[in-house]
Amino acid sequence: MNPVLVLGGGPAGLSAAGELASLGAPTILVEREGYLGGNPKRWHYSLLAPDLRPTEEVMDPLLGKIEGNSRIELRLSTTLAKAEPVEKGYRVTLRSAGALEERDVSSVIVATGFDHFDSRRKFEYGYGRYPDVLDFKEIEIMLHEDRVLRPSDGKPPKRMAWILCVGSRDVQVGNPWCCRMGCVVSIKQAVEVRRKHPEIDAYVYYMDIRTYGLWEDLYWKSMQEYGVKFVRGRIGQITLAEGGSRLMATGEDTILSRPTEVPFDMIILASGMEPSAGTKEVATLFGLSVGPEGFLTPRISDLNPVDSGVPGLFFAGAATGPKAIPDAITEGMGAALRAFQYARD
Amino acid sequence: MSVVAHLPRRAQSLTEEEAESPPAMELTGRHRMSEDERTVAATIFDEFHADPRYREFVLGCLNCGECTTGCPAARFYDFSPREMLQIAATGDATTLWDALQEKIWACCQCYTCNMRCRFGNDIAGIISVMRELSVIHGLESTRRTLAPFGRSLTLLMTVGTQVSSDMIQPDFFRDWGPFATGSDQVWQVTPEVMRKAIPLDVLQTTRSSWEVSVQTSLELFRIYEETGVLDMLRGLDPDLTEMLVDIVEERREEFAEARERFSSELAGQRGPVATFTG
Repeated sequence: MNPVLVLGGGPAGLSAAGELASLGAPTILVEREGYLGGNPKRWHYSLLAPDLRPTEEVMDPLLGKIEGNSRIELRLSTTLAKAEPVEKGYRVTLRSAGALEERDVSSVIVATGFDHFDSRRKFEYGYGRYPDVLDFKEIEIMLHEDRVLRPSDGKPPKRMAWILCVGSRDVQVGNPWCCRMGCVVSIKQAVEVRRKHPEIDAYVYYMDIRTYGLWEDLYWKSMQEYGVKFVRGRIGQITLAEGGSRLMATGEDTILSRPTEVPFDMIILASGMEPSAGTKEVATLFGLSVGPEGFLTPRISDLNPVDSGVPGLFFAGAATGPKAIPDAITEGMGAALRAFQYARD
Repeated sequence: MSVVAHLPRRAQSLTEEEAESPPAMELTGRHRMSEDERTVAATIFDEFHADPRYREFVLGCLNCGECTTGCPAARFYDFSPREMLQIAATGDATTLWDALQEKIWACCQCYTCNMRCRFGNDIAGIISVMRELSVIHGLESTRRTLAPFGRSLTLLMTVGTQVSSDMIQPDFFRDWGPFATGSDQVWQVTPEVMRKAIPLDVLQTTRSSWEVSVQTSLELFRIYEETGVLDMLRGLDPDLTEMLVDIVEERREEFAEARERFSSELAGQRGPVATFTG
């Protein structure tokens, strides 16, 4: 059997490669970066919502299945340069440090994931200009290292705000979809802050809270047990206040129907999810149709979310839309099974 | 005990006519509408929803309030673009009617709400549709609200107004956000941002932008005549409209004379040339 090619070393790709290996299929795992683990590793995610479990407890077992596995050929710092369909599977060209290598593979799993929205594009929030306006990437590292301090002066904040839906549900930036994670991750971050630093006030500004299913529990607990405050309405702009030492958040409290202006020491933007650069490249290389959002579209997403509709090509994880880590892992397993069946038959 | 006894005392004492009117009016303390007003309100409501712009401008609303955040009027009046959009979407003719009485005139038509709206609604646009309707139907409240603006209106309709680019100071445009105004209050609008806000041809005519050619202002007035704007205004304020017509008629005559003079001067110059070449 020719090997199965897995594109992407995040939760979905790791899950797929690990399952393929345990099914006995030779596997090539290609990762653009020089390390495995995808966005959770890249941005040092701290605890995972909703159970507040350290990210390592989820990622380490996935990584453990890959490292040193003789059935998995690990190709870091490598990208896909070309892919042609052959009678069964694909002839692919891998690019690594400028060198090209041609390989025959029996099937391909696309697990190229998402990128965080570049918060600079919502320019009214001053991200990238005001050091104390952070987004998910920076705050997760801070929480991971237990060092919640204002980047501007290194002092602990007294009052923090989270702004949901930055780069999500917004046609002004061309992203009308919901990222699904922003609510629960922001609430989780606020809880993490309040748990360790009860002296810091935490406010969440929201349009809707979408802690769907059992995640609702964390939303309730965040108020009941951790005293996180919720304001319905969006912050429309952030300016400097108090001689430039604090941030002034201006918005509308849409329940009271009044404009609001509140000074904060740190403001966190819940940066949304977009199809990653790799996802877009793969769509072009395989000539795949993408939805209006730019994510890959399974043939019948209700019936089988991992089937691309193209023989020998399967999807897993956030390449097909915003997804939580457990869902990405599940899809990795599903895609591994389908790719194995295709390669074997 | 009878059912009636459970009702609030007020309900028992309602007359038949009072009982027919919606209770919301009692609760919110709105003034009781006359039969005529109710008819006009229903007509306006129907026309509003039949307007082809309605479906294009009113898409939906997440009630996020970002429109209100940037709204200059919301800072000073009991006004919010979010509320206006909700009113535009309401199925209740009386709610629309109430908004037409005064609120719609608080909007300064700066279109910041449109720029902010993540749903892509044209809020400032739908407000101007509401204004149109209140003018077309010559509402007494509209007449009262607009009375102090006769001078501005006269200037606007006989000359037209323009913005010159030296009026664009960052302090006036805080809604452009920190990248425009800057923490250090230094002018930091990039050409890209500026072009988004101000038409390029306006930027290029700093000096001449206050000079309006007579021909342009006459053409503008012609547009008001042809598109029915003048008729709208006539219904609301016939005296002002007649004054505007007088002013413009006088200008037209002056312009016609000037053109005559100019073309005969030109002909006088051309005369010998024509002879020479002929």
